[in-house]
Parts: sequence; C-alpha cells; structure tokens
Amino acid sequence: MSFSEDKFSDDSRLHLAQIIDNINAGIWEYNINTRAIKWSAGFYSILGYETNEIECSNHIFFDHLLYHQDKAVFLNALSDQGTTPAKPIQIRLLTKSSGYHWFESTIKRQHDRNGQIIYGSIININQYKQAELRAARNDQHYGDTIRIAKLGSWEIDAASLNLTLSKQIYDIFELQSEIKLSIEEAVSFFEPPYRPVIQNAINNALEFCQPYDLELLFRTAKNHVIWVRAKGVPIINEYGRCVTIRGILQDIDSNKRKGLSLESSLNLLTDQNRRLQNFAYIVSHNLRSHTGNLQFMVNLYEETELEEDRTEIFAHIKSISSSLNATIEHLNEIVKIQTEITNERSIINFEAIFNNIQSAIKSNIEAVNARIEYDFSQSPQISYIPAYMESILQNLLTNALKYSHPDRQPLIKCHTLKERNHIYLIFEDNGIGIDLDRYGDKVFGMYKTFHQNPDAKGIGLFITRNQIEALGGTIKVESTVNIGTKFTIKLV
Amino acid sequence: MIVPAPLVNACIIDNNKIYAYGFKKLLSIKDLSNQVTHFENGSDAIAHLKNPGNALNLPDIIFLDLSMPVMDGWEFMKEFEEIKSQLGKKISVYILSSSIDSHDIDRAKNIPSVSGYIFKPVDVQRLQEIFKNLQGIARQ
Repeated sequence: MSFSEDKFSDDSRLHLAQIIDNINAGIWEYNINTRAIKWSAGFYSILGYETNEIECSNHIFFDHLLYHQDKAVFLNALSDQGTTPAKPIQIRLLTKSSGYHWFESTIKRQHDRNGQIIYGSIININQYKQAELRAARNDQHYGDTIRIAKLGSWEIDAASLNLTLSKQIYDIFELQSEIKLSIEEAVSFFEPPYRPVIQNAINNALEFCQPYDLELLFRTAKNHVIWVRAKGVPIINEYGRCVTIRGILQDIDSNKRKGLSLESSLNLLTDQNRRLQNFAYIVSHNLRSHTGNLQFMVNLYEETELEEDRTEIFAHIKSISSSLNATIEHLNEIVKIQTEITNERSIINFEAIFNNIQSAIKSNIEAVNARIEYDFSQSPQISYIPAYMESILQNLLTNALKYSHPDRQPLIKCHTLKERNHIYLIFEDNGIGIDLDRYGDKVFGMYKTFHQNPDAKGIGLFITRNQIEALGGTIKVESTVNIGTKFTIKLV
Repeated sequence: MIVPAPLVNACIIDNNKIYAYGFKKLLSIKDLSNQVTHFENGSDAIAHLKNPGNALNLPDIIFLDLSMPVMDGWEFMKEFEEIKSQLGKKISVYILSSSIDSHDIDRAKNIPSVSGYIFKPVDVQRLQEIFKNLQGIARQ
C-alpha cells in the first residue's frame, strides 16, 4: 500500500502524498495501536524494488529487510517516549540486488485521529557510512601504529606560540590528564643539558625555517628518564615565513640504549685493541732492540782479541741481559693488569692508602724535601681494586718527586672530587713540567721518556693509564714547562 | 802502492749507550773509522753541528736512531734540513733503527737528506759499502 492510495480528506494532503511518492526518499509510517504500516513509493525504490514488489508488512520489515543486529536500535527508537524529537538512527536494510546498505531514518511521533503514529523518512547513507567506517578503521590503524611506534605528534603556532599536543604525547610525558602545556613547560621535561638544545632548535625553526631531528634525554612526569627523538618541520607560508612547526616526539629509549651500549662496547674493544697493538709494538720493538744488541755484542766479543775489550763487552752483555729481564717484567705487569681486572673491588680509604705510600717512599720524599698536601674530604672512599689504587698513587707520587724542579721546594697536591656520579682524583705538582705541544699523547705511551733523567724508564704512566682505563676511567694531563703538571683522573 | 784511506769522521746519535759503544768498536775493528762522535739525543748533536768552533771538525756521515728522548730522530732531521745549507760540508745521514715498521721506513725515504735506512743491530757489508763510497767521494 502506498501513500497515494490512502484516502486523504483534502487536496493538499493528496498533493503532499504525490510529492512524497515521487521524491527519492523513503517515507514510512507505523501506527502503534493498529500496528498498520505504510511505505511510500520512494521507500521501495530506495531499496531497489518496484512499488508493491514486496509485501509492506511488519514481518517483511523486521525479519527480512532490517539487519538483525540493528533491530534493537530501531525498536529502542520506536519505544522511546521522549518528547524531544528523537535523533535519526542509522540502520542497515537489505536492498534488492546489492546486499545490505546503510540508511538513516528520522523518527517522529505524532497523535493522529487514528491513534499514535510514528513516521520517518529514510535516505541511503551507504557511501558516507562506508567512508566513515573506513575512516574509523584508518583512525584505529593509525592509532595502533602510533602506539606501537611510541610516537606522538605536536604543533606550534608561530604567531601565538601555542603548543598543541596529541594524546600520545601525554602518554610519553606520562601525564594523567591532557593539561595544556606551554613551550617552556614542555621543554622543562627534557633533562637540563638538553633543554637549550631543543629550545634552540625550536627557535631556529621559527626564525630561520630550519627543520630539526634530535635525540635527547627526557624525564617523564613519573620520573622515568628516557631517550626520545624530537623532530620538527616548519610549515612555511608564501612569504617564506614559518607559520607552524609540526613535529613528532618518539620514545626511542630501548633502541637508543641498545645503540649506546653497543657504542660503549665498541669503544672498549677499540681501546683494548689499541692496547694490544701497543703491546705487540712493545714486544717487537723493545725486545727486538735488546736481542739485537745482545747479538751485536756477542759477535763483537768473538771478533775482538783484546782482553780489556772483551771484559767491557761482557759487562755490556750482562747489562743487556738485565734490561731484557726488566722489559719482560714490565710486559708481565701489563698482562697482570688484564688478569687482575677480575679481582674483587673493595672499599678503599684514600687517606689510609695515601699515607701508606708516603711512608713506603719516605726516603724519596725526604731526599728532595717535598711538601705533600692532600684533601680527600669530597670523596674519602671509593670501590676499586686495591692493587691498582696503590700502583696509581705510587706512580704519580714518585713521578712528581722524580721530575721536581731543582730551584724550588717540591709541592705536591692531591685531592678527590665528586661530580655527578663520578669520582675524580686530581694530582698536581710544581715540577719541571712537560712540553705537551711536542709530546702530547705520548706521555702515556710505553718507554716514552722526555727528560734526560737516568731514572726515567717510561713505564710508570703507561701502567697507570692502563690500570685506570681497564676499570673504565680516563686520565688527562695538563702541564706547563717549568711551572708544573696536573693529572685529572676520572676513576669511576 | 797502498793509498791510505782518508779518515772518515763519523757520528752516531743514539740514546742506547751500549749500542753506540758496539757501533764504535765495530767501525774500529773493521777499519772503517777511528773517529766516531756519539750523542745521546738529536738536540746535543744539533748543538754540536751549529757550534762554529766545530766547523773544521764536522762529521762526514751521521748514523741516526729514531726513538730517543728530548729530541728524537724525526725532530733532528727537521732541524738538520734547516741548518744543513749553512754547514759548509755535505753530510750523509743514515737512519739506524730497530724499527721495521713500514710507516717509519716510508717516512724516512721521504726526507731528502736521508741517504739510507739501516736496520739494527747491524749489517757489516752494508756499512763497508757505505764507507767505500764515502772514501771514493772524498778522494775525488
């Protein structure tokens, strides 16, 4: 039954019904009291049917046309007693030839002379609904991807310097609620040394349209320190000015830390390799020079007939033999550093160990009348391998005594420093100094001597450096000729 | 008739005293030179060469070690290049080193006034050739 078949009482109603039947929207009507149902011609055609091709009945509508999952939506809308006009509902209806389509139906309730009537118009929204669903799916996909990538996006408006952050950014910040943050507040989440870096990058992007891509340390609201990647790209207007910076913030902590640990293993390996090469060089160069000399002297001994020459040559052979022995001892010491590295560390008291060494080399100190001052109050103790610490302090001390300046009383100062998580040992003297422009990094090389001091063997600082580096520390030297030398040692 | 070989004035710059002693002894045993001056580092040798008092007593040949304290062989060569034109005598310089590092050998080859590279401890035949050439030049 169509609307036009209804017997309308007046012309205008008839007219209206004809219009309704001719427009491409479907009108339906349902009488709650009689359960009678009416569809307009457009209702049929919108579903792909000829008028009256299917029976207009509740049974057909509910059991054949309406998608089973949408029944509840539709019934709820019908039974809604609210006075305000009900919201349009979205339902799926079976079309004649192309399966279920999405439709939107208005729902209106009216009291008629025939009782309570509900009516509505349906339009096909399939295209929009599909697009909407696709968009929702894409959104979901995008959200998942971003969550997996631990990535958030943000935007800075160049004119107002207003910062907009995506939800994921708040996740990275570990902020419970999405409170508004200023640029300064966002920057303050970065660790202090990185704050100027990110602030400069933002300023340069705003001012000079420079993009940036940085890896920085970041402290979340829950006090987790993580590595993040901060990338910003300026959006430029037709005048070449930056109007917006758009960017991402990504939690790259686990990767970055893996990279850093890889880098530090690489550095360690490079260091060890360098030490090995140095070792190989010592073995080849120093042992070769001794054995060469030995061979030379033995040959000379054979060629010489003079008894007094032979005596002298033999004395030299003996001296070479003991040098050879000393070199082997030195090599042993170096190998020992590598094997002792696995020894237990224990808590060492700087003052106690330093005093022990002072009394052990008391005669050397008194020989040059040296004044020795120390202050270990900043870090009185350290967890270290005791044999290394003894060796380091003793080497530095004997070194300072050996190269003291003949024109003044030797003054040797030693103190510890605590900075961040590191403990430093500073060792200063007012000795003859060393020309670092000339010798530079050779200071810590093996058998490198720089003065015509008969006691100089060129082994002490080499061993000291090896011991310090074996435990992950560093040693640096500053020196001025005739003024003095200062060693700065990062112990841990 | 035997022509007496002109005296060759030699010089060795090496901080290894034992080696220098042996080298001197060897030159004497092999009748190559009885006049060998020894310096323990490049700096002392440069001072000797520069001293006008030694102008008449400059060496004909210098044997130079590379690794030495105070002034090593490389630094000596740098200074030597600068003063050699003022010395009034052509002095041959041979590197005498136990280093078999190709880097050292190439570096020495690239110094114009280095005539050759001799490996320690010693190569007697090579030394004899070098001295023969020197005497030949001196005779001319």
